[in-house]
Amino acid sequence: MALSQRQMVDNDRSRFDFKDEIVYLTDTKRGLTRATVEEISRIKEEPDWMLQFRLRAYEHFLQRPMPVWTDGLDRIDFDKIIYYRKPSEREEKSWDDVPDQIKQTFERLGIPEAERKFLSGVGAQYDSEVVYHSVKEELTKLGVVFMGTDQGLKEYPEIFRKYFSTIIPPEDNKFAALNSAVWSGGSFVYVPPGVDVPLPLQAYFRINGENTGQFERTLIVVDEGASVHYIEGCTAPIYATDSLHAAVVEVVALPRAKVRYTTIQNWSNDVYNLVTKRAHAYEDSTVEWIDANTGSRKTVKYPSIYLRGRGATADIISVAVAGSGQHQDTGAKAIHLAPDTKSRIVSKSVSKDGGRATYRGHVKVAPGATNAVASVRCDALMLDDVSRSDTYPYIDIQEDDTALSHEATVGKISQDQVFYLMSRGLTENEAQNLIVQGFLEVFTKELPMEYAIEFNRLVKMEMEGALG
Amino acid sequence: MSVAPLRLPFVSEDRIRQISRSLDEPGWLLQQRLIAAARVAELPAEGNQLFTPYHDLRAARLAESQPYAEIKVSGDSERAELPAGASAMLAVRGDTIVARSLGPDALAAGVVIDTFGAVLRDRPELLQDILQNGRTLPADDAFSQVACALWSHGVLIHVPAGVQLDAPIVIRHDPGEAGRGVISRTLLTLGEEASVRLLEEQGPGSHPAGRLDGSVDQRRLWWGTMEAVLDDGASLEVAGLQDFAQDTVAFVNRQATLGRSARLRWALASVGGLLHKSRIDNLLVGQGSSVQQVEIGFGDEAQLFDLTSYTRHIGEDTTGDLLSKGVFSGRSRGYIKGLIEIQRTARGTDSFLGEFSMLLARKARSVTIPSLEIDQPDVRRASHASSVAPIDETAIFYLMSRGLDRETARKTIVLGFLEPVVARIPLPEVAERLRDLLAAKWPAEAAAAAA
Repeated sequence: MALSQRQMVDNDRSRFDFKDEIVYLTDTKRGLTRATVEEISRIKEEPDWMLQFRLRAYEHFLQRPMPVWTDGLDRIDFDKIIYYRKPSEREEKSWDDVPDQIKQTFERLGIPEAERKFLSGVGAQYDSEVVYHSVKEELTKLGVVFMGTDQGLKEYPEIFRKYFSTIIPPEDNKFAALNSAVWSGGSFVYVPPGVDVPLPLQAYFRINGENTGQFERTLIVVDEGASVHYIEGCTAPIYATDSLHAAVVEVVALPRAKVRYTTIQNWSNDVYNLVTKRAHAYEDSTVEWIDANTGSRKTVKYPSIYLRGRGATADIISVAVAGSGQHQDTGAKAIHLAPDTKSRIVSKSVSKDGGRATYRGHVKVAPGATNAVASVRCDALMLDDVSRSDTYPYIDIQEDDTALSHEATVGKISQDQVFYLMSRGLTENEAQNLIVQGFLEVFTKELPMEYAIEFNRLVKMEMEGALG
Repeated sequence: MSVAPLRLPFVSEDRIRQISRSLDEPGWLLQQRLIAAARVAELPAEGNQLFTPYHDLRAARLAESQPYAEIKVSGDSERAELPAGASAMLAVRGDTIVARSLGPDALAAGVVIDTFGAVLRDRPELLQDILQNGRTLPADDAFSQVACALWSHGVLIHVPAGVQLDAPIVIRHDPGEAGRGVISRTLLTLGEEASVRLLEEQGPGSHPAGRLDGSVDQRRLWWGTMEAVLDDGASLEVAGLQDFAQDTVAFVNRQATLGRSARLRWALASVGGLLHKSRIDNLLVGQGSSVQQVEIGFGDEAQLFDLTSYTRHIGEDTTGDLLSKGVFSGRSRGYIKGLIEIQRTARGTDSFLGEFSMLLARKARSVTIPSLEIDQPDVRRASHASSVAPIDETAIFYLMSRGLDRETARKTIVLGFLEPVVARIPLPEVAERLRDLLAAKWPAEAAAAAA
C-alpha cells in the first residue's frame, strides 16, 4: 500500500480540547501537607470523623511506596498539584443559575441537548466541586438520591457513613489513599428498594486549569431489587505539564439489585488517570462495568467486582485505544466469594502510533465459592509496528467445580478484510475505520444511542489522518 | 511488592573456592562462579513483577540444605549397561556419577558425554567459548545463578554436526541421601543438522525418604539446569519425567537457544517432590526456528508445582506452541505461569500458549498466568488460552453409558487429559511407567469410594 497504516491513522487530539478562563473562588496552595488536608475538611465544614478519615488516608499515602509493576508513575510531581479549588459558592439547582462561562463549556460538551432528550439527571463536576445539578421531579418522587458526594455526606449521613470507604479502604492502594485524603466532588447515588430508575443518570467530569488535580469520589448504593444505569464521561483541555486524576468509585449492589456503570474516558494526553473502581455484588444482583479509555497519558484502572452473595453476576466490558505517547494500563477483576456466581470479562484494545495497551486481569475463585462460572476474552489490535500490546491475566482458582475459560489474541488489521472493503468502494482509511469500529462494537452496542454515536465519532476522529 | 533475595547459607565465597579447587578449575571459571554468586545476593528471588504474588518457597527450608560439595565418578561408570533402546546413558546417584556410557552408534558418531573438567582438558573448543560467553542461563534469574555459582557436577553432551541419533540418550538423576542434595549443570550442544532425543528421568532414588512427619524434617535438594544450544537446522527432543521422593525440593532451569530452522520439542511430566519450581526459557533466535512444549503436573497432598516458561521470539518466522496442563488433588497447588514475548524483529511469528488445569479436590488450588508482550503485530498468530474446569459431566455420562463405573470414567478422562505428554515419551517402558505413576496419583479416597 502507498501509505503506512501509521501515516493514515495520524491523529490530532487537540481538536477535542478547549479551555476556558475561570475565576476560582477558593484554592489550596500547591502541594500536599497535613495542613492541606485539614484545610479542605474545614472549608467543607465536614464532621470530625471525615477529617480523621482523611488524615488516616494521608498518613497511609505517605508511607505507601509507589507501585513498581507499571512504569511512568514516578513522573508525577505531587508538589506541583493544587489539591482543592472551588469555582463557585453553592450548588446550582437549575441550569439557568449556572454561571455563563461554565455553561459554555458544558454546552460544548453537549450536556443540555442530551439532557433534553434522554437524561433524567445531571451532576456535572467542574474541577473540584459539583456546580450544576438537576434532578427531575420524577426521580425525587421515587426517592432516588442523585447529588454531589459532599452534599450526600451532609444530607444522608446514615447511608453515607454505612457504605463510604467500605468497598475501597484508603489502604487499598497508594492512589486510593491519596483520593481518600483529598477527595472532593463526585456523585452520591442512592436508589431505594424496588425502584427501577427509568433513564440513565449522567455526570460529566472536567479537569480545567493547569495542574489541577481532580479527586472525585463516587458512591452508588442500589438497594434490594432496585436498578440504575450511571454514565460518566470525561474530557479535559491540553496543557504542557502533567495533570493527575485519582478517583475512587464505590458501588454497592444489594440483593437482586442491578447496576450498570458506563464510562467514556477521554482525558487529554497530559493526564495521569489513576482510578480505583470496585463494586460489591450481593445475592442475585448484577453489576456491569462498561468502560472505555481513549484519552490520558497513562490510565491505570481495573474495574472490579467482588461477588459476595450467592448467584451474583459480574459483567465487565473494557475497551482501550492507545495512541502516540499513551499507555492504557487497563483491565478488569472478578473476585468470586460466594457460590453460584458468574463473571464475564471482555477486553478490546487498539494500539497505534507508538501507543501501548496493556490488559491486566484477575479472576479469583475463593474457597467456598462453589459452582462458579467465569470467562475472559481479550483481543488486541495493533495498527503499526511501533506500538505495543501486553496481556497479563491472573487466574487463581480454589474450588474444584469452577468452570473458567480465558482466551486472548493479538493481531493486526487483516489486509484481506481491507482489500475486500476497498473492492466494495471504501477508501483504505474508511475500511480501517470500519474494521476498528467493528472490533470495538462489543462495547459500542452497550451504550445508549447518543453515546454510541459520539463514541463512534471519537474513534473515527482518532483514526482519521492524511486521507480522512 | 518485591521479593527479597534468596538467603542461602551454602552460597558462600569459601564454599565456591573450595568447589572450584576440588575441580581444579581455571581462574576464569572461578570468576564466573563468583559473579553468579554476587548476582544471587542482589537478585530478588522472583524477578518478574507479574509473578511475585505467587512465589512461595516456605516448604523448601533452604536454610537447612546441605548439598554435596564434590561429585565422584565411580570406577565402572563407563561400563554401565545401557537401558534397552538407548544410545547412551548418564546416571548420577547422590554424589557419584554411576554411569556414563555410550553405545556403538553414539561412539561411532563422535557423541561426547563428559564432565566439564574432562572436556576443558581434552577438547576445550567444545566448551570453553560457550561457558565463557555465559549466555546459556538467564542472568536475571536467581535460581539459575545459584546453579552457576555452586554446581559441583557439570556435564556436556555434544552431538556433532550432521549426526542423527534415533535411539534416545538417557539421563538419570537421583538427589542422594535424605537431607543432602545435588547442584548440577547439564549443557547440550547440537551441531548443524544434528538430531537427537533425550530422556531425562529424575527419580526417587534408592535412598530412603526423609521423615516428613517427625521432628527431623529434612529436605532433599535437586538443583539443576539443562542448557541447550541448537545450531542451524538442529533438532532436539527432550522428554522429562520427574518422580522425586516426597521430601525432595527441586529447582530446575532449562534454557534453549535455537539457530536458523532449528527445532525443539519439550515433553515434561512432573509428579513427584514436595516443591518443584521450574523455569524454561526458549530463545527463538534463528529465522524459522520452532519450539513445541508440552508440560504436565499432577499434584496431590501438599505438593506445589511452580511451572514457568518464557518464550522469546527474536528471529523472523519463528513458531512457538506451548501447552501446560495441571491436575491437582488433595491440598496441592499449581502455579502455571508463562510469557510470550514477540520482539520487534520477530516478523511472521506464530505463537500459542495454553495453560489448562483440572482441580480434583476442594482444597487444591490452581493459578494460571498466561501473558503476552507484543512489539510486532505482523504475526501469523499470537494468542493464549486458559481454562480451569471440573471433569465434564457429559463425558462421564458417555463413558458410563459404555459400561464404566463413575470413578473409572473420571479417572479415564483425567488420564486422557494428560496423555498428550505421555505419548511423547520416547521409550515405551518409560511411557508406561509414567502412565502408572499418573494412575497411582488418583486420590485414594476416590478409589476407595469406587470400590
